[in-house]
Amino acid sequence: MTEEDDRRRFETLAMPHLDAAYNLARWLTRDAHDAEDVLQEALLRALRYIGGLRGEGARPWLLQIVRHTCWSWIRQNRPAEKVQLDDPDEAWRELPAPAADEPSAIAMRKADRQQINDAIAALPIPYREVLVLRELEELSYGEIARIAEIPIGTVMSRLARARGLMRAALTPTLRPALRTVPRPAQGGAKT
Amino acid sequence: MKNRTDAWKLDAFVDGELDLAGQLEMEERLRDDATLRGEVDELRSLREIVRERADRHAAPESLRARMAGVLESRTTPASVPARSSHPRAAPRRWFAWQPWGASLGFAAVLAVALNLAWLQSATQDRLAEDVVASHVRATLGQHLTDVASSDHHTVKPFLSSRLGFSPPVPELQLPGASFLGGRVDYLDGRPVAALVYRQGEHIVDSFVWPGSASDSPPVFAAQRGYRTAHWSRGGMNHWLVSDVNREEFEAIVAALRKADTSP
Repeated sequence: MTEEDDRRRFETLAMPHLDAAYNLARWLTRDAHDAEDVLQEALLRALRYIGGLRGEGARPWLLQIVRHTCWSWIRQNRPAEKVQLDDPDEAWRELPAPAADEPSAIAMRKADRQQINDAIAALPIPYREVLVLRELEELSYGEIARIAEIPIGTVMSRLARARGLMRAALTPTLRPALRTVPRPAQGGAKT
Repeated sequence: MKNRTDAWKLDAFVDGELDLAGQLEMEERLRDDATLRGEVDELRSLREIVRERADRHAAPESLRARMAGVLESRTTPASVPARSSHPRAAPRRWFAWQPWGASLGFAAVLAVALNLAWLQSATQDRLAEDVVASHVRATLGQHLTDVASSDHHTVKPFLSSRLGFSPPVPELQLPGASFLGGRVDYLDGRPVAALVYRQGEHIVDSFVWPGSASDSPPVFAAQRGYRTAHWSRGGMNHWLVSDVNREEFEAIVAALRKADTSP
């Protein structure tokens, strides 16, 4: 009876989020086979704990388990990936300033699917995961904080940093960590 | 040049994650600061192209099949009527999963106490689960509406022509509410109308189909983190589901019932 109940709950609650779960695992491991392996383990954990899920969003709940499983797996299998995080609170200071004479929006617009994928894949994991959760899964900061088990402030700084790195990667004219002095912008706005 | 101490604030602004005061303050600043406006435009462009072009990897069929196999193996055939609300890959055992069986069984025993509260009227529960599942599927996938229009006079004929009945399409007259459109969904073993509203950041699905029940007042329930309400009126079954908070949800139910002028 309860097994059946668990099973039904799992089908109703967790299975609809299978694509989101796989997408996260795929982006974190950057490999289809590894993603599948890790996700299987994560889903079994989810199945065990499904009885404890209540009154909260099932998607962040599941993604938290997936994320956790991914990180354990990466720690074990890819110790080289253990990235040195930029100081998250200081990171934004190094964001490239906008090049006023060549709006990077134009260069970015030319980026194709492959370039975008490569740029995301090249992000250090802590930045990659917040970007994927925000842009591809469209989760709120609060949900991302819960999934990644970090404070909302850290979500904000990592997301800003992730986007700064993306912009730098997609606009070759920008030199990361090199701050250009903006000219008086179009429209003569005061800066 | 403004100090960039609040680069994250720009991101939060673009993401709509600042509180109201912060949002207004930022709008104020943007009015006077073209550089800042340029930054916001760039962030929006980046967000757009990433959302548009980056890969969203869908779970492979092999994984679904394995999961289905695991779930099937946990089911006592006699106690379970087959669920047919969505097609599933044929159950296939995957041997590597077997050692988990024991611990799963143990977890299930532990879950008895927790789950007793859920075991209520089975049919209503199943319907509620299907309603929530439909809602979740629609909000997760990109397929919220078959007909995206805020014009009720567009949506109603669209649904009527596909359903063989004409669902009431009431307006949701609440602050922050908008009507997104409708789609045909499948519930209770039949095609039903799903009307889609937005309340703030939340999506509200309203399912409607003809039934023989006499008029009944709304029954509220919380189902796996979502709120549901169901009632009958004028020969129509109504099920409403959303993840808004209780007050808002009750207000939505009241507003929809008020706007529904069916006899």
